[in-house]
Amino acid sequence: MTGPLFPQGGPNMGQPAPRYEGRAKVTGEARYPSDVRLPRTAHACLHLSRIGRGTIRGFDLTAARAVHGVIDILTHETVGDAIRQTPAIYQGGYTSDSLLPLGSAEIAHWGQPIAMVVAETYEAAREAAQRIVVTTAPHPSPAVDINAPGAETRALEPMMVQAGDFDAAYAAGPIRIDARYTTPAQHQNPMELFATQCVWEGDRLTVHEPSQYVNSVKFGLAEQLGVPADNIRVISTHVGGAFGAKGFLTQRTALVAIAARRLGRPVKLVATREQGFTVSGYRAETRQHVQLAATRDGRLTALRHEGWELTSRADTVAMGGASMTTRLYACPNILGRVNTVAADRSTPGFMRAPGEVPYGFALETALDELADRLGMDPVELRRVNDTQTEPVGGLPYTSRSLMRCFDVAAATFGWSGRSPRPGSMREGDWLIGWGCASAYYPAQAGNSAARVRLTADGTAHVASAGHELGQGMTTMMAQVAAEELGVPLERVTVSLGDSDLPPAVVNGGSAGTASVASAIMIACDAIRARLGVPRDAPYAALRAAVAASGLAFVEELGEARAHGRSPESLPDMYRGRALPLGGVELPDRVQFAMGAQFVELRIHRWTREIRVRRAVGAFAAGRIINPRTSHSQLLGGMIWGIGSALHEHTDIDQRNAAYTNANLADYLVPVHADISEIQAILVSEEDRLVNQAGVKGVGEIGVVGVAAAISNAVFHATGRRLRDLPIKLEHLL
Amino acid sequence: MRSFQYSRPSSLTAAAGEMGGLLAQDPDAPAAYLAGGTTLLDLMKLDVARPERVIDLSALRGELGHVHPGATELRLGAFARMAEVAAHPGVIADYPVIAQSLALAASAQLRNMASLGGNVLQRTRCSYFRDPSWAACNKRTPGSGCAALGGVNRAHAVLGTSEHCIATYPGDFAQALLALDATLVLAGPQGSRTLPFGSLHQLPAATPHRETTLLPGELITEFVIPARAWTRRSLYLKVRDRESYEFAVASAAVALDLDGDVVREARIALGGVATIPWRAHGAEDALRGLTLTETLAWTAAENAFAAARPQTHNAFKIDLGQAALMRALLQAASLEIRP
Amino acid sequence: MTEVRFTVNGTAQCVEVEPRLTLADMLREECGLTGTHLGCEHGVCGACTVLMDGLPVRSCLVFGVQAEGAEIRTVEGLAAADGTLNVLQRAFQAQHGLQCGFCTPGFLMLATWLLEQKEGVDEARLREVLASNLCRCTGYQNILAAVRVAAQEIRVWREG
Repeated sequence: MTGPLFPQGGPNMGQPAPRYEGRAKVTGEARYPSDVRLPRTAHACLHLSRIGRGTIRGFDLTAARAVHGVIDILTHETVGDAIRQTPAIYQGGYTSDSLLPLGSAEIAHWGQPIAMVVAETYEAAREAAQRIVVTTAPHPSPAVDINAPGAETRALEPMMVQAGDFDAAYAAGPIRIDARYTTPAQHQNPMELFATQCVWEGDRLTVHEPSQYVNSVKFGLAEQLGVPADNIRVISTHVGGAFGAKGFLTQRTALVAIAARRLGRPVKLVATREQGFTVSGYRAETRQHVQLAATRDGRLTALRHEGWELTSRADTVAMGGASMTTRLYACPNILGRVNTVAADRSTPGFMRAPGEVPYGFALETALDELADRLGMDPVELRRVNDTQTEPVGGLPYTSRSLMRCFDVAAATFGWSGRSPRPGSMREGDWLIGWGCASAYYPAQAGNSAARVRLTADGTAHVASAGHELGQGMTTMMAQVAAEELGVPLERVTVSLGDSDLPPAVVNGGSAGTASVASAIMIACDAIRARLGVPRDAPYAALRAAVAASGLAFVEELGEARAHGRSPESLPDMYRGRALPLGGVELPDRVQFAMGAQFVELRIHRWTREIRVRRAVGAFAAGRIINPRTSHSQLLGGMIWGIGSALHEHTDIDQRNAAYTNANLADYLVPVHADISEIQAILVSEEDRLVNQAGVKGVGEIGVVGVAAAISNAVFHATGRRLRDLPIKLEHLL
Repeated sequence: MRSFQYSRPSSLTAAAGEMGGLLAQDPDAPAAYLAGGTTLLDLMKLDVARPERVIDLSALRGELGHVHPGATELRLGAFARMAEVAAHPGVIADYPVIAQSLALAASAQLRNMASLGGNVLQRTRCSYFRDPSWAACNKRTPGSGCAALGGVNRAHAVLGTSEHCIATYPGDFAQALLALDATLVLAGPQGSRTLPFGSLHQLPAATPHRETTLLPGELITEFVIPARAWTRRSLYLKVRDRESYEFAVASAAVALDLDGDVVREARIALGGVATIPWRAHGAEDALRGLTLTETLAWTAAENAFAAARPQTHNAFKIDLGQAALMRALLQAASLEIRP
Repeated sequence: MTEVRFTVNGTAQCVEVEPRLTLADMLREECGLTGTHLGCEHGVCGACTVLMDGLPVRSCLVFGVQAEGAEIRTVEGLAAADGTLNVLQRAFQAQHGLQCGFCTPGFLMLATWLLEQKEGVDEARLREVLASNLCRCTGYQNILAAVRVAAQEIRVWREG
């Protein structure tokens, strides 16, 4: 069975409090942004480019305009200069890419929004959008992917990592591995579609949009529209999954905002599932090269990891995962490099463990190749190279529990029963494979604020513009305030997902809990200080203190500055610039959550279906505020890892870079039946350095390493080493 | 999706009459029957299907929803629910390939919605057919070409293709019907008739837009599956990328009549690899009269794919289809059949 | 425009709609029942699952006009009138069978149907039926656990 759903609390583990908004979500009362009903709403539908790179010669809108109920059609010809060109986040701005929405007749890529219809009903808008006729001049040979001849490769020198003398050490290495790997384009596909509703009241704009960062939408939109940011409010109370896709301002929001202004009524856009494949960013495909040298007892003497990542022509975006894979194991001679390959595609973005999933796959598979070459158990290979000192700069880890994770997971999995020889474990017509890999994710935090109010009736309210993406932010916020103040949990209420609240970090990079929890703790400290109530004072004493103060309530704002950020950086969060920092980016230390992934799979001897039978992961991520929500995050992450290894792959047509499986029938994500048994174990770990809350974050680490564990298990089952994801049955026929 | 007029006639006669009236006025009337709706509505949203008139057949479920397994034949109303047929003990025991092909299709929920008739008529999942922004699709627009030929075609067919179309027939149930020599009962404006199931689907050849031999306005009312010596030793093997809820990459419906280890008769139909439900007569011939061994099963499987023509991304379907057929044959031979 | 009469969660409804309006959009736009979510609009994800005359349907693949005379049940009808959660809703909460919650109404309705089947539920049937719907957050294990616990509580669970 699945093992304990909510592990017993360790010394550093909080209570598995039930989900704060659980009731709203099981009754249908939870209002996601597309559920908000505004009177007189007009409905919008995008029309996306159906060619690759090229130029629009003209529109024939006759048939579209003739559809009953059509009100307005926005194109580059009708929008004029209503939207300003602003920098993307990669250049210090707010938007997820640099293309100006409906900015010109130039088409950069397939799937670019080139028109938007607004109509009385969604049905009319969609029909009209389908009836738009565009005359285009396509570029004769757009560069469609990372291997296309016309794509431009560029080395990113600032991302280079170097220690010792790799070339000499590799040449001298007694045992060497030299292997190349690829990972595909993938899309986050949260269950909730990309929706935006905009309504103007005079010169004030309210935006309802699922977001991981309402302040990116607010301040970015202010720049794009030339409107004071104070006039814009962005509300995102419930978000139906995000996984990086809802991190930053996309082109659609400004279009809906100006449509609503043109019409003087609310406008609602819900992009279709297919449109969602280019409305936001995605995980870009990569090529990677790993070279390892080791002594005969398995000590690494040289490690080189170089990656090539696809990007768009408009933006140089790289996840740069080699900066982390070069800092995981003891090794004196290291070289890490990252390159971008610019093609005629939409700008990639963040997808759950963006750099760690692809780069982790390559490195952890290469280590398995090394273990095989050495005739060494792959767990022991990690043990031999375990270290408490980061190998490039010699910095300490704030804490590191990699081998404890391996030991716990290996014992639970029954790893000692493994027969090491490939192909040696069978059950009837099925070949059995066992594999393992390390998981890691940088512990990060960003500047964040929270306001806590303690009322005379003994209730508390916590407010911060963090986001409930399903990860459990709301529950966590209530728990931290309850614990810090000593107020019963059921007497704490929470507000979040609203740009009018104190700002929080973008809820990405697994930084949300660490950042917001720290801010709440600071606010609670301030409240207790003001009331003169010591920590651990009984609830009655706290209430008595508020009553004695004669105030209706006591309220404090907590501002948490992330380690590594300067005091001067604090005001930036009030301008939508609170980004995570940590991992390997700090001058004085390295911060990682770590884990171990074990997988058993079976492969049919004739037809070669690959099925994961069970997976066990153990993770040490500092303080776990809520084991229930954290455990669920890790389970979900592990399933993502299985999808990433075996199913998920965006198909790209070589003629125009069209995504030919841009729907949930053809873009396969795992279903229940794909996984018989999966277990995530929370390994207790105390880290008093990493941040005030002691939290490392668990949103992404569950995905990392699963693909390598699977490819290693495929090797164990079949003797075939597969270095290209996803692994499909045809690769084993 | 475009606007349309909707009607829900209360009987088969009324439905056929309504369609007949429309076709009498205009032989090319853009009218469509709506059965379970799972294919039609999907294609209408994509702007691939553009009927101006939709005749909803859901009232026919009562009239044509029967499941009658008998000693000599199995009769299935075209509006019986897939789930109901798949779970019927008489079908599971005596016509296992029928039950299995339905149980392995789509998802439990779609099996509640989709009708049997609609299921065998489901359209291809070819990405280029389903996206009208690709101008070239001979199935959608006769004479326009085939975008799949130079495109992403891992899912496409290796058998029964032509230079005009390589789209895969996506269903599962059809292979079971084909292997068991089922007969269709049809009704339409011109009255009713029967048709061997093997004559329903047409090879794409130069006319991929003509997918079946149904006459204008004709619909399937019943499936008749004869009980033969090989019917109970039958099974459906489906190979897919995901454990559940996914179309076949390759599948095989097989039925065997054995005398000890010797094959007296074999029936084989292949799915996921061909443009239509694919009967492998050559493979059947290769088995007949011989002792079924692993080697013989391979010989039959090679025979089944002798005429296969791979595209850029789907050559593996030949190896996979052969492996699936071999696995299905050996599995069928090992079935315990109660007397 | 076509008039459609049907009941939702026991309440009679009469709306005038275009035939092309899907049942999902009819429930959301005409009846104001936004608990039914749309995750793909092509019949795959199952987030829009409602019960129509007792059977689970993907309401994005059904025209609203097809609901004429039908009894529709949605997530809004699961709790008692006084707000008391039913056994499945409690189990999804207690077992943490949800994260972002967007797919939850669809899973609840699918599971409602499953638990109402007279033959009961075992592990294989549970996994087979629930594979109809997609969840991108939870890793599914807690959803299975929730339905299992609910089935045990109302005594329709069969040990495999």
